[in-house]
Parts: sequence; structure tokens; C-alpha cells
Amino acid sequence: MSRVRLGRWLLVIPMGLLALATIYPLLFTANVAMKTRREYILDRFSLADSLRFENITTAWTSVGMGRYAVNSVLVVACSVFLLLLFGSMAGFALSQLRFRGSNALFIGCLAALFIPFQVIMVPLARVMADSGLVDTYPGLILAYVAQFLPFTVFLMTSYYKTIPAEIVDAARIDGNTVYGVYRRIMLPLGAPALLSVGILNTLFCWNDVLISLLLMPSADHRTLMVGVTSLRGQYSEDIPTFASGVLIAAIPVLAVYLFLQRQIADGVAAGSTKG
Amino acid sequence: MPPTSRDRAVPRRVAGGRRAEMLAPFVLVAPAVLILVLLRLYPLLLGVNFSFTGDGDRDGAMVGFDNYVDLLQDPLFQGALRNVGLLVLLLPVAVAIPGLLATFIYLRVPGHRFYRSVYFFPAVLSPVIVGAIFNLLLSFDGPVNSILGAVGIGPVDWLGDPDVAMFAVVGVHVWATFGMALVVFLAGFATLDSALLDAARVDGASLTQVIWHVIIPSLSRTIQFVFVTTMIGMLTSMFGLLYVMTSGGPEGSTYLPEYYIWIQQGQMNRPALASAASTVLFVIMLVVGLLQLKLLRRAGRED
Repeated sequence: MSRVRLGRWLLVIPMGLLALATIYPLLFTANVAMKTRREYILDRFSLADSLRFENITTAWTSVGMGRYAVNSVLVVACSVFLLLLFGSMAGFALSQLRFRGSNALFIGCLAALFIPFQVIMVPLARVMADSGLVDTYPGLILAYVAQFLPFTVFLMTSYYKTIPAEIVDAARIDGNTVYGVYRRIMLPLGAPALLSVGILNTLFCWNDVLISLLLMPSADHRTLMVGVTSLRGQYSEDIPTFASGVLIAAIPVLAVYLFLQRQIADGVAAGSTKG
Repeated sequence: MPPTSRDRAVPRRVAGGRRAEMLAPFVLVAPAVLILVLLRLYPLLLGVNFSFTGDGDRDGAMVGFDNYVDLLQDPLFQGALRNVGLLVLLLPVAVAIPGLLATFIYLRVPGHRFYRSVYFFPAVLSPVIVGAIFNLLLSFDGPVNSILGAVGIGPVDWLGDPDVAMFAVVGVHVWATFGMALVVFLAGFATLDSALLDAARVDGASLTQVIWHVIIPSLSRTIQFVFVTTMIGMLTSMFGLLYVMTSGGPEGSTYLPEYYIWIQQGQMNRPALASAASTVLFVIMLVVGLLQLKLLRRAGRED
């Protein structure tokens, strides 16, 4: 008993150090972003002498991170909306309605979960180019929807399976059509799952770099993460501006995490325990 | 109304109803099915077909296994495969770290709530952001070398030394993703019968004994799940790190198949060769997936 208890107290030291190692990189970056170039070159580790936001403003306006942020918000919002719409429609049909081929379709969705993007990216680029969708917002949105739909359908189907069939029956007796049941019953009942899946999809789309590098080549259409990759070459001499650009891309995610960490962790856990 | 079951309720009532109602399930799944067929299934087949055609002058012509022969003779691809081997060797470490930490958090180390949320937070950051941050930290005169210098170890050229760079990138990947595996482990712990732990404690078991004889056997499914997802993560989500931190260098020492595909498609303009590399990556993933099935089935028999 006491040995276990003593062991637990000793563990606090390595776990605390690891927590520090987890937070420090971001604090270091935030501190660098507040420094002048001179201050950074003279001493990397000292605290910035004041909260200075000039570098952030520079990164937002002259580096173009603001423009990229607008692109990201637009593409991510449309992608997540379509993912939730198509995912909940298919999830409702696959879990609550019995029809020819429904099992095969569900298994097909599961199988699609195991096709990584890297495996299909070369032919997908060709398909997109042939349909004139390369370097367009709809093209990138469609690619994100295709990429994260299997996961969304899978989780929505699992969630809707927990809703008793009697609820659907009662709504049908009340004279609802199948679409009415979807809109009036399933969408509201699915809210907790939609929230979890929506947050995860937002993170996936927001954080992606490979798909948008592949499908949005022109500088004007860059998403925020592609913007971060382009900072590296341009601002290798101006580290505080570089750090500011990185911070701009990280802050929205950190804000979401601070407010919704429980939902994010629950979503990840749901994906694993139902798998 | 007679008792109804989920399976039969709707069709029976619909059978006498309107045609539109019968079609409703198909209408509801249509967008998802169309998108998945056109943008996932079709490209998958197209890609396998591409891999048997030529690049450049021989564009579109069938060339049999030429691309695969080229691929296996390319030192860069050989390096990428060697690095996959290295990942397999490092896999137990990448699983053990979150596993141990989850155990400590589950056993309620003082401050466990705090650790839980702090450890998970890098997992929500984009690999690109993580890579950019670590470019600063691992630079020659950066913080990591300063700390090493303080304890008397000379500076390491983390991203410039071919023998070190891949370990540095994998280390950063583990830093960024162990929180994800930690959450999965904690979900597994939620299913653990706490009576077993209490019994072990009453019997005076030490922490190591509890881990070895109670936790590992009870969590075998979760452990296998984390093994497979961690491996898949290493094979498919390090692109951002490689792209930002090393661009495959120094001397091509940090190539992985996914980065090789990107370079051949985008920089070298050899889509057919890239498709062959994609097919090889897919086969590797299939092997990982089948191994998972086999392990799960064996675990099922033990239950």
C-alpha cells in the first residue's frame, strides 16, 4: 500500500517535466513572436521586454497570413457543413432504415477508412485536373469531404444505432415522411454526435497541409497551413515574424482546445472504442 | 399496432405507401456513396492502373512492372523503406510512453487532471505548426542544444546530420501524437474492472506488479489497437513534419514512402512511378491491417 503511494508521489517529477516539455515549445514561440529581431539575436531565451504585437500585424498583413486565414475559414466551414449533412443523412439511413445493400454500403464505408490519402493522391490530382477543379474552392472542399466522410458516416451510424427504433415508428405514425423524421427527429437527437464529429473534422481540415498543397497551387488560394510552410524560406532571417506567422495559425486551434477539450477527447475515444 | 423492430417497421408501412418513400433511404445515402465512389474508389483503381503505365515519353503506354523495378532500384525509395523498418523498431517505444502515462493518470497520480489536458494538447496542432516550432527549438543555437550544453553534452546538429535527422523527426512526431494514444488508452481503462485493481492492492502488489499482471492482460485489445493506429499514423501523417523540418534531407535520409510519392508526383513529374510507390504503400498498410485482424482474432479466442 505505502510503496504504491510513495511511487505515486515520485512520479510527479517526471510527469511534471514532461508537462513542461509539452507546453514550453509553444511558450518559447510566443515569446519569440513578441521580440524585435535585435532582441532575438542578442538573447533567445530572455523574456520579451514588452507585449509587442507589431510582428503579428506584419505577418497578418504584409506576409498575407490574414488572406490565408480567410481561405481556410471558408474552405473548412463549407467542408464541415457538407460532412455533417451527408454524414448524418447516410448515418440515419444505414442505422435506422432497412434497405437492399445497406450492409454492403456500411462495410464499404468502413473499408474506405483504411485507404490513406497518400495512396490515391496522384490519380485524385488527375481526376480533379480533368474536371477543372484544381485550384478552386469547390475542388478542395470536395476533396476534404471525400477524405473525412468515411469516418463521419461510421461515427454517425454508430451513434444513431443507439436511438430506439420506437422513436422513428412513433414519428411515422404521426404522419412524418422519412425526410421529416430525418429533419425533425434525427438531426436534433444527433446533436451531441454532430458536435463531436464536427469539432474533429474542423481540426482535420484546418490542420491539413498535404491535400491543400496538392490541389491549391496558386499563392492567392493558399490555406493557413500552406502559408506556414511558405514562411520558412521567406523569413529564415526574420525569426520573430516567422514565429508570429506560426502563432497566428496555432491560436485558433488552441482556443478551440481550451473551450472544447472534453468533446475533442471524447470524440477520439468514441472513434477508438467503436472501432 | 403490432410490436415492431427496427429492421421491419419502416419497410412494411412503406410497402403500401408512395414510391418516393421507398426511395428515401437511397436518396439519403446517395451523396455519400457518390462522393466515395468518384473520389476514393475510382482513384484507387485508377492509381493501380497508372502504376503499370509509363512516364514522360511513354505516357499512357503499358510498361508492365517497369515502374516497380525502377522503384526498388532507386536509392531514395530504398532509404524510405529502411526508414519504415526503423519506424517498426521504434513502435514499441511510441506505444509504451502513452501507455505508461495513461496508467499513472488512471492510478490518480497527484495532478492527473492537469496532466491529462496538457499532454493531449499537442495532438490538436497541425504537423506543420509542430514542425515549424521545432525548427526553432532544434536549430544549432536553439533551446534544446542549450539545455544539452548546460549538462555538458556538445551541441547536436539535429536536422543536419544524416544519422540523427530521422530520429529527430520521429521524436517530434511522438511528442506531437502521444496525447492521442493516451486518450485511447484512457478510454480502454474506463472499461477495466476496478475490483481487480482493488484486489491486487489489498494483496500488497507493487506498481510494477499491478501493471504487469492486471493492467496489460486486461487491456490487450486497446494495446493492439494503439499499436496499429500508431503505425498507420507514422506511415501517413508525418508528411507535414518532413516537408517543414527536413524536406527529405540531409542526403535523403528522412524519406518515407508518402514523401517519396509527393516528390515524384510534384517535383519530378513522374506520376506513374509515384503511383507504383502508392501501391507499395497501400500493400504495407494492408499488411498492417491484416495483422491487426489476426491479432484481434487471437485475443478474441483467449477471452
